[in-house]
Amino acid sequence: MTKTLFKGFKIFDGKNFVNDDCVLVENGKITKLSTGLEDSGAEVVDGGGKLLTPGFIDLHAHFRDPGLEWNEDITSGARAAAAGGFTTVVAMPNTKPAISDAALVGYVLSKGAAAGGARVLPAGCVSKERKGVEMAELLKMAEAGAVFFTDDGAPIATSQLMRLALLYTGKDQPRIMEHPEEISLFQGGQVHEGRVSALSGLKGIPAASEEIDVARGIALARETKGRIHFTHISSAGALTFIRNAKKEGLDVTCDTTFHHLTLNENAVINSGYNSRYKVNPPLRSKEDQDALWAGLQDGTIDAIVTDHAPWHMDEKDEPFQEAPFGIASLDCAAAVLMDFRNKQYPEVPLELILRKMTSAPAALLPEKWQGLGVIAEGAAADLTVIDEERTRIVDCNSWKSKARCCPWEGIALTSWPVATYLEGKKIWEDEEEI
Amino acid sequence: MSAMPNEVAQLTWKHRNVIDLDNWTREELYFCLDQARHMENVMDRPIKKVPVLRGKMCVNLFFENSTRTRVSFELAEKMLSADVVNWSVSGSSTAKGETMRDTAWTLEAMGADIVVMRHGAVGAPQYLASKLKHGIVLNAGDGTHAHPTQALLDLYTAWKHLGTLEGKKIAIVGDVLHSRVARSDVLGFGTMGCDVVLSGPPTMMPREIEALGVRYEKDPKIAVKDADMVYLLRIQRERQQDGLFPSVDEYHRWWGADSELLTYAKPGALVMHPGPINRGVEIASEIADGHQSVILEQVRSGVAIRMALLYLCGGGAR
Repeated sequence: MTKTLFKGFKIFDGKNFVNDDCVLVENGKITKLSTGLEDSGAEVVDGGGKLLTPGFIDLHAHFRDPGLEWNEDITSGARAAAAGGFTTVVAMPNTKPAISDAALVGYVLSKGAAAGGARVLPAGCVSKERKGVEMAELLKMAEAGAVFFTDDGAPIATSQLMRLALLYTGKDQPRIMEHPEEISLFQGGQVHEGRVSALSGLKGIPAASEEIDVARGIALARETKGRIHFTHISSAGALTFIRNAKKEGLDVTCDTTFHHLTLNENAVINSGYNSRYKVNPPLRSKEDQDALWAGLQDGTIDAIVTDHAPWHMDEKDEPFQEAPFGIASLDCAAAVLMDFRNKQYPEVPLELILRKMTSAPAALLPEKWQGLGVIAEGAAADLTVIDEERTRIVDCNSWKSKARCCPWEGIALTSWPVATYLEGKKIWEDEEEI
Repeated sequence: MSAMPNEVAQLTWKHRNVIDLDNWTREELYFCLDQARHMENVMDRPIKKVPVLRGKMCVNLFFENSTRTRVSFELAEKMLSADVVNWSVSGSSTAKGETMRDTAWTLEAMGADIVVMRHGAVGAPQYLASKLKHGIVLNAGDGTHAHPTQALLDLYTAWKHLGTLEGKKIAIVGDVLHSRVARSDVLGFGTMGCDVVLSGPPTMMPREIEALGVRYEKDPKIAVKDADMVYLLRIQRERQQDGLFPSVDEYHRWWGADSELLTYAKPGALVMHPGPINRGVEIASEIADGHQSVILEQVRSGVAIRMALLYLCGGGAR
């Protein structure tokens, strides 16, 4: 029996900051949350006033495995997540081949379990081979451990397929996660349709592309009494639709990304069209960015995700128009957001941000995992230690991820995860910190 | 032609590369135009050659076909005594199987001093410049983004006819959305203090046109009203296949320039076009060949302006 006593921490329990300062972990589970605990048989981790939170949960990351492993694989991805303070990551299924049967779900789970990083939970495709034609074996994939169904990278190809998937999964199966995009408005698009497209001549992707698909999903969720989760929401207009759907009582949820909260189209312009800022959905206007922060605060946005989209530098280091879409951020996302919140949105409570990275995303997972994202007696000891005073420069060359496509390279951030525990076992530690 | 103000004549040249005109001051624009005036004198000599770039190697790196711009640059380089290599690549570097980083390092290893680059991708010249330690880059057009040498030759042509450009009204009509010429002209004429008005089908306009610091008038008659210069953009017929306008005929009827449209502009207003022209589409022959047209003069200005830029950036003026 292994016992670890975390003492002298400022503790966020998944919902709020609490008065307790000690957590006792036995055999991977939290057995006590209290003040001034002593246990002579336990290994002691002394917090010295650092912040202890439930391990972060990322509902949306791409690990390129199987098929494009030179960019990332499940092992490097899971370790990158751990280094960024994440203990659970949902791996998107748009791999080669796409994850659209139970055997491939099993592949992701077993490779993830052996990675020695964060817990990797697979998402399965909605359609067979992600072709957007026929429904994949959703029930078999759920049984094998899939936690979401999505054709991410693309929207569900037809309204009929979405309707059938919503009906078929209902409320007892993993949620349908929709990548909201109206494809005919995207063709050849590179950046947000707005200031950046006007100045650069790069083809714009209008916010309406996202809004239209969100409106479709809401209409079908209403009609089927199903539930739908919209991922990487980037626009004010889409948020308005989702806010109204929630008011109406529909089972509609959404997330946005660390980069859409912390960057906007001006970053693309100011960088001289550096491909590090090329991402889909595109970095939108300052008004959209402000709307996302408002959406976090009024509860419209349920979770914050990385949409970690790793590319090897050989793929990404190209002129803007020729580079692939994607920002990799698992190693630094939490620090990026905490630093940004401290500097730009200090009025937004830190608890709110942390909730959207812990208990709130856990609530969107299947029942088996809903106990994650909290520090409570009986919960899995997934824990992240944050040093709010720590300042570090983002250095992609030190990353666990294989990707280098990061807009924050070279930037000094304050407030970093310094240690990560999965079921009581340390899976990462900032070695410079010690 | 207006005389140069004293402070402009004494300006120290600081631009290493020419990617776009967004970071150019009005003084720098006038300084460059004045240099072009000297260069144009060279073009009139019996022996059209000066030793400004002797011993310098210029590479004209063209990823898109453009005979006119390439020949214009090549003439400019040769009149300045540079050694010239034309390197044409069909398709993008990616299609060729080589990354642009490798292309840049190859150019550097070969000892290129000046790279003139035309590429279909926005940002390609800037990217190339960021990878070169020694060589400098002149943008000869990148995708739908910028075409600074075209804008400078337009400024030069307009300046020769109109004198000081401040306060002049410039109407640009056509497919602004896909036009690198329009974007650079808006920057150039805008910096000069011109009143720039755009016109064309709304489907061929950027959505947030105010970001460019200009006005939009759907009706070209309103756009060209009292204009000192009317600039027609080339309409590419494939835009019709993209569904941006229903027919060439309808385009010509609404936005094509003919003698009737010109009656709304100032008497004697200049007519300009970056070429090659589509007669009967964006411009009627009566206008293209009329006495107000300076389209062929623009071509001549192009050589002079490119000589000026090669001298300023690559010839030790910096």
